[in-house]
Amino acid sequence: MSEELRSPSTEQGTPAARTPIIEARGIVKRFGGAVAVDDVSIAVEPGEIHGLVGENGAGKSTLMRVLAGVLAPNDGSVWVDGHQLDPGNTREALDAGVSLVHQELSLVPEMTVAENILLGSTPTRAGFIDARRQRQVAAEALEEIGVTVDLDEPIARLSVALRQFVEIARAIARKPRVLILDEPTATLTPAETEYLLDMLKRLASRGLAILYISHRIPEIFAICDRVTVLRDGSLVTSEGIGDLTPQSVVEHMVGRDLQLDLESRRLNPDIGEPVLSARGVKAPGVNDIDLDVRAGEIVGLGGLVGAGRTELVRAMIGADPRSGGEMTITLGGTPRRITGYRAAIAAGTAYIPEERRSDGLALTMTVVDNIALPNRSALSRSFVLQRRRIAEFATALAEAVNLRPPEIEREVGQYSGGNQQKVVLAKWLGRKPDVIVLDEPTRGVDVGAKVEIHRLIRELADEGAAVLVVSSDLPELLELSDTIHVVRDGRIVGVLPGAEADETAVMALASGQQEVDVA
Amino acid sequence: MTPETSSPIKAKPPVAQIEQELEQKAFKLSEWMAQQGIFLFTAVLVLFALVFIDGFASLPNLTDVFNRAAPIGIVAAGMTFVVISGNYLDLSVVAQVATAAVVLIAVTNAVGLVPAILFAILIALVYGIVNGIAVGGFKANAVIVTLSTTFIGLGILRWLTGGSIYFGDSDGPIRTFGTTRIGPLPLAMILFIVVTLLLSLVLTRTNFGFMVRAYGSNREATRLAGVNTPLVVIGAFTMSALGAMLGGFVLAAFSNTAVSAMSTGYDFRALAAIIVGCTSVFGGRGSVMRTLLGVVFVSVLTNIMVLSGLGFGFQQMAIGLLIVLAVSVDALARKTRVS
Repeated sequence: MSEELRSPSTEQGTPAARTPIIEARGIVKRFGGAVAVDDVSIAVEPGEIHGLVGENGAGKSTLMRVLAGVLAPNDGSVWVDGHQLDPGNTREALDAGVSLVHQELSLVPEMTVAENILLGSTPTRAGFIDARRQRQVAAEALEEIGVTVDLDEPIARLSVALRQFVEIARAIARKPRVLILDEPTATLTPAETEYLLDMLKRLASRGLAILYISHRIPEIFAICDRVTVLRDGSLVTSEGIGDLTPQSVVEHMVGRDLQLDLESRRLNPDIGEPVLSARGVKAPGVNDIDLDVRAGEIVGLGGLVGAGRTELVRAMIGADPRSGGEMTITLGGTPRRITGYRAAIAAGTAYIPEERRSDGLALTMTVVDNIALPNRSALSRSFVLQRRRIAEFATALAEAVNLRPPEIEREVGQYSGGNQQKVVLAKWLGRKPDVIVLDEPTRGVDVGAKVEIHRLIRELADEGAAVLVVSSDLPELLELSDTIHVVRDGRIVGVLPGAEADETAVMALASGQQEVDVA
Repeated sequence: MTPETSSPIKAKPPVAQIEQELEQKAFKLSEWMAQQGIFLFTAVLVLFALVFIDGFASLPNLTDVFNRAAPIGIVAAGMTFVVISGNYLDLSVVAQVATAAVVLIAVTNAVGLVPAILFAILIALVYGIVNGIAVGGFKANAVIVTLSTTFIGLGILRWLTGGSIYFGDSDGPIRTFGTTRIGPLPLAMILFIVVTLLLSLVLTRTNFGFMVRAYGSNREATRLAGVNTPLVVIGAFTMSALGAMLGGFVLAAFSNTAVSAMSTGYDFRALAAIIVGCTSVFGGRGSVMRTLLGVVFVSVLTNIMVLSGLGFGFQQMAIGLLIVLAVSVDALARKTRVS
């Protein structure tokens, strides 16, 4: 850490020109023995966008939940407009104007946009729902954030991105003075992200104080006036954006000098014959797709959220039913037709789904149980599980994916996102897969774990596996892929060799500005 | 978005951060009660009974309590598989217990013991497969499916038997089983313990039991791990059916009689033992041994009430109250886990 980091932040000496609208003083939050937030103070002025960054487990989300009254701190206090809030009183925090946009979507899928925006504060007249007022408030909130969506549409029919905007409209409808957003762009495409960032700037210019949590440093630099960095629950620095660089922010976050790995693409991949082949695959949201992934090749699927990439890979491996087309997996020169998901798994496929918490892991089970699940047949003799072998097997895999701490008897749910994703990978690595399909492999994962997951993916390809990666993280897609297929509206609209692809080329195809003929 | 900043970093997190990785949850009473409470409560209840309840601490009373708990205990041990698989419960045990009892006595009288047992096993397999296909294959709601198969099963039984009572041979093998003791221990009680241990091993040590637990914890993740999940559910309901069949055998042996109405309340009483034993109705958490503790708890509690002269109505109310308490604690614990 350099000397200047320890110097007091630039504004501390001068008396504040404006008074903060929200202020947290000396917040301490412990969970059992562990300190999640350790004596952190933070203040945000009206009209300020305040970035909050840190690796997973740094305490960002915990601090925000204390501010919004969701959690009561063990020590310290939260002040809004000079009034101290009752700790852990969500209602009071809301009434005081603190609105938290949740990291995980909290909308009711069966209800309409208008109903969701007013959820919890549904207007009534004589005990009955005042539908007109409900629609009016919802429409105002949507207009304020500049999003057009049918008020009567059920949430279930909206794209993930639109749901995120409805979530924000819901916070805005409460007329907040402080808006807290926790990773709002995790599921958004670059274009949608840009839209969201512009919107936040507009809201701030009207005097709203915004606390913005993100893993994505460019976003922080695009909109924030001030950045607070947390590490291991402690405040590392809080500085004006002008005093920071992307490099210095990342250094503060990880607390060590680091080299940015700019050229980590595989240079001369040893690519063999096609292993995973799709011919005319059709499914809801997937239109007649041909795709080959060769041995030793990493194929990236780029495109906007909702373009049909997840649907495509799920239809390919049979995780969801296909309405047409054929899939084959060719190993050792013998093609095998894949009729269903279990046939794909039996043929050597590994699938790392998009939603690790709901689809990838049994969260209430231990690491060892999760790792054993796809490998149970190999680890049992005449139906009886061989517990010692399973433990050795899981230990070796936990080590291979660098699970930290490597406590395999722990429940997976107790680990952070990055470690959970490593467990999902470990499950499948033990089968030595010949085909590996990964959907958003590093979403919501901290930088350290991301590097390790990328390393594992490259190692698999180096060993000859056919790798198919869906990623909305463009730099990730560009770094990993030997070939990039861009998907739009359920079709492949372009194929780019990894070495020639850049963000502009991928985005041009994904957004439909340009179309390349596919051979 | 510039590529530099989202590029990976070649470094390992420092040790201090590693310690933070594991979320340290605060001690939560509800969570502790939902997982460990049964051990304490059973111990306290038994101690209380030993000290304060006249007539409890005698060997004849204790063996009688556990012997009488045998049929419900065996049913509950089997049904534990269904609950852990996240399918709530198997209400059709009511029909299954009565059917097994009637088949055992009626078919033994007509043909012989071995055909009777084989026929009962066949019926149990049909129950397991029908319930399992509807719930696991068609994803129908387990409560409604098993409520309906109870109707079907009891309907067939009453239709065929006309509600008549079947009496076993007064010195036949069924009668002998119901009355034999090894030392001070009744045979039924020994069967109860053996079946519990066996089912416990199946749940914890076999590939099948592992899949049942995994399915209960997360269905989709289990399916995506390549597990044939409908088969797992069929298996869970079959374990329940086999437990209900054995429970029916023991029940028939006790009185050497069988009638279609003999198993009323077995669904709820089995569920009571499972839930009081801290197996989560949300699936994934629990064990057959905990169900055994739940059976002990409920039986001892009932015995205390009987010895204290409290009537059947009071007992019924107390067990109902106990369940509301237990499922509330379970739900509360789940809530604190999820948040």
